[in-house]
Amino acid sequence: MMNKVLTSLNTFFFVILSVSIIFSLFSIPKLDVEETKSTRVNFYEVMQQEEKSLKTYPSNKKLKKEANSTYENNDKREIDNISKIPKFEINKSHLKNEISKIKLSRERKDILRVSTIIQNRISSIWIKPNSLSDTLSAKVLINLAPSGEILNFIMTEPSTNKSFNDSILSAMNKLSFFEEILVLERKLFEENFRNFKLVFKSSGEID
Amino acid sequence: MKKIFFIIGFLISNNVFSILEIEILKGSDNLSKIAFVPFGVEENIKEVYGSKISKYIQENLLLFGEFENLDKAEMLSYPSSEEDFYYRDWKVLGVDYSIIGKVNSINSFGSLSISYSLFNINRRIKILEGEIVGNEDNLKGISKIISNRVYEEITGLKGIFDTKLAYVINSNSDTYQMCISDIDGKNEQILFTSSAPIMSPDWSPDRKKIAYVSFENGLAEIFIQDLSSGKRESIQALGMTNSAPVWSPDGKSIALVVSFSGNPDIFLYSIRKKRLIRLTDHYGIDTEPSWSPDSKKIIFTSDRSGSPQLYEINTQSKRKKRLTRDGNYNARGRYFPDGKSIFFVHGNNGRFQIATKKITSRYIETLTSTSLDESPTISPNGNIIIYATKNGSNGYLGGITLDGKSRFSLPLKNGSVREPAWSPLLN
Amino acid sequence: MEPIGIFILAMICQVYSCAANVSDSVERAQYASVSGEEYLQDDKLVTNLNDKVFFDFDKSTLDAEDKTLLEEYLPFIKRAKIVRLEGHCDERGTREYNLALGERRALEVRDFLVIKGVSGKKIRVVSFGEEKPLKNASNEKAWSENRRVEISLY
Repeated sequence: MMNKVLTSLNTFFFVILSVSIIFSLFSIPKLDVEETKSTRVNFYEVMQQEEKSLKTYPSNKKLKKEANSTYENNDKREIDNISKIPKFEINKSHLKNEISKIKLSRERKDILRVSTIIQNRISSIWIKPNSLSDTLSAKVLINLAPSGEILNFIMTEPSTNKSFNDSILSAMNKLSFFEEILVLERKLFEENFRNFKLVFKSSGEID
Repeated sequence: MKKIFFIIGFLISNNVFSILEIEILKGSDNLSKIAFVPFGVEENIKEVYGSKISKYIQENLLLFGEFENLDKAEMLSYPSSEEDFYYRDWKVLGVDYSIIGKVNSINSFGSLSISYSLFNINRRIKILEGEIVGNEDNLKGISKIISNRVYEEITGLKGIFDTKLAYVINSNSDTYQMCISDIDGKNEQILFTSSAPIMSPDWSPDRKKIAYVSFENGLAEIFIQDLSSGKRESIQALGMTNSAPVWSPDGKSIALVVSFSGNPDIFLYSIRKKRLIRLTDHYGIDTEPSWSPDSKKIIFTSDRSGSPQLYEINTQSKRKKRLTRDGNYNARGRYFPDGKSIFFVHGNNGRFQIATKKITSRYIETLTSTSLDESPTISPNGNIIIYATKNGSNGYLGGITLDGKSRFSLPLKNGSVREPAWSPLLN
Repeated sequence: MEPIGIFILAMICQVYSCAANVSDSVERAQYASVSGEEYLQDDKLVTNLNDKVFFDFDKSTLDAEDKTLLEEYLPFIKRAKIVRLEGHCDERGTREYNLALGERRALEVRDFLVIKGVSGKKIRVVSFGEEKPLKNASNEKAWSENRRVEISLY
């Protein structure tokens, strides 16, 4: 009985584990709202952080070396400090992790870059209605061909304000291509830009 | 086990199966480009009528710098009906909207029927059409109606081309004039001339009367003047000084400032009963009242904290709330038509500028860039602020759209212009 | 003994009269400095005092200098039938607030005069806010001259 429970639990965990791995490999990195808002800044911050995390181990090693060279002259407190620094080991799983991280971050970078270009292009043609005191939001679903041509767009979630919606439709009608997506790998295009959404927002503030 | 948690955590953070969303917060700095196509005319009608109407509509819509226009010389065709209208002719010129129309004759007494259409070039659809019957000597009036409808369709805001402006002119030789004009500065009417100062004009909600302060009897006194008859009547309120009259949205009472023995406080004056009701009672200066659009609250300036700041008071419960805290000079507040924000004069480092603030937030945003700005007044659709400012010793009126895209100044007058008051809409 | 006594008496008299002369001349000098222009208006003698009381921006308090000045005027103010105090502001800030501030300034002067024994009944206070500047210019000098209370005696 106990064995059965254990094995079923084991299978359960195994299933979760394998599903998780599959999902994490194919999952679409989500660009959340706050990130795209100030894309350029955040983007570089994200990249820098990732680069930093990659550099941590070598720099630790270096630190340790330096510390070793001055070891004799230092007092006990510093020895304690040094002992707190984790030892650098080449660990297979770590390496794997890092490689997948690098791959992911590169994809993420590409997606962010293309998103930013699209964002700026729409911002340059969208004539936002004046002095809307309410916070408004409308979503437009866009269907692209691999050539970048806009096959179709539809306002899936219109706002409550007619002129806000009209201004978005006018802006969308000015566009026929997003040739920016041509730089993307086909896989990334299919995963992210075949169908994507634009979320038009009015904060209610005077911009 | 740890690893499992790691992967699950990774999963959640990645939010599987979500569709990529790109947020667009910022709009373009460009203005919509409109083609005002000269209206066509029926055979027996003067051609100039057609071009006049489109010219008047153009003048109206460009008045506050909210749109760009396509030069007539650049137009590829002058269609006057939908059959002759080709979107591509306008698309290639970067036009966003085209207005076309035709003037038809109804009878030999000058009655005209003017049909018009508005097209959204980007969406390739007709978004507005209409017909107006009027007389040939009222082309301007007809154009104002068309302008309002076009403006409403494009912006979603009320058209304001038949509103008026009241203001005070002080010419060099100690002459003060209470004036009103159309919003484009035309049709100026002088309501009252005095050798003593005139202040604080305010429109009654029905646009039939104006209340203002006149010093003609040696001290500040409030008068109500009927615009059609020209008759003036003084509000005989007690006290040393009566000032800052503002009509309530229902037109039944006036909020004003009465100073008994030198202590200015806010009172409500009922016009029919001619009775004063005290609203504030403080030894500090309380002045510059103005009603919230729902009539429930009054915003006012008070120096009870040591410097002029804005407060609001509930006219029923008399509960007060301080609205501004940043800066040592925040005065003459007015509500936006939606009641959610206020605009006022904000003093900062010796500069006095027009600023706005949401009632719920603390952040003050300065709108103007000159330094002696005062008396802001807002268009009834809440989109434009006109204010008084100075160039040397000469006062003139400046304006700004609230998206900050357009700044303009009204034509100069013969004398120093001050205290603009934007009329309400005609109902 | 007697001639000496007379001499001393004469000396005292002289000193006394001299002193009287001095105080007289002081009063006359004061008279000259503050009398300003006198003219007839509605058949009444009107005195426009040359000097005015000036204030700091957004302030209505009298400083020591203002008080000395007002004390110098006191004899004339007490003699007048009606005292008119006219409060003014500079162009900065809002008009209606300035109207109230001008009134504040005039009232500050009134309160000071009343403390000094001037009958409050004969004092008329009016504010013109920023509507009647003395100097029509937008600089610190013009502003400081425009923030004033003018005193007229009738």
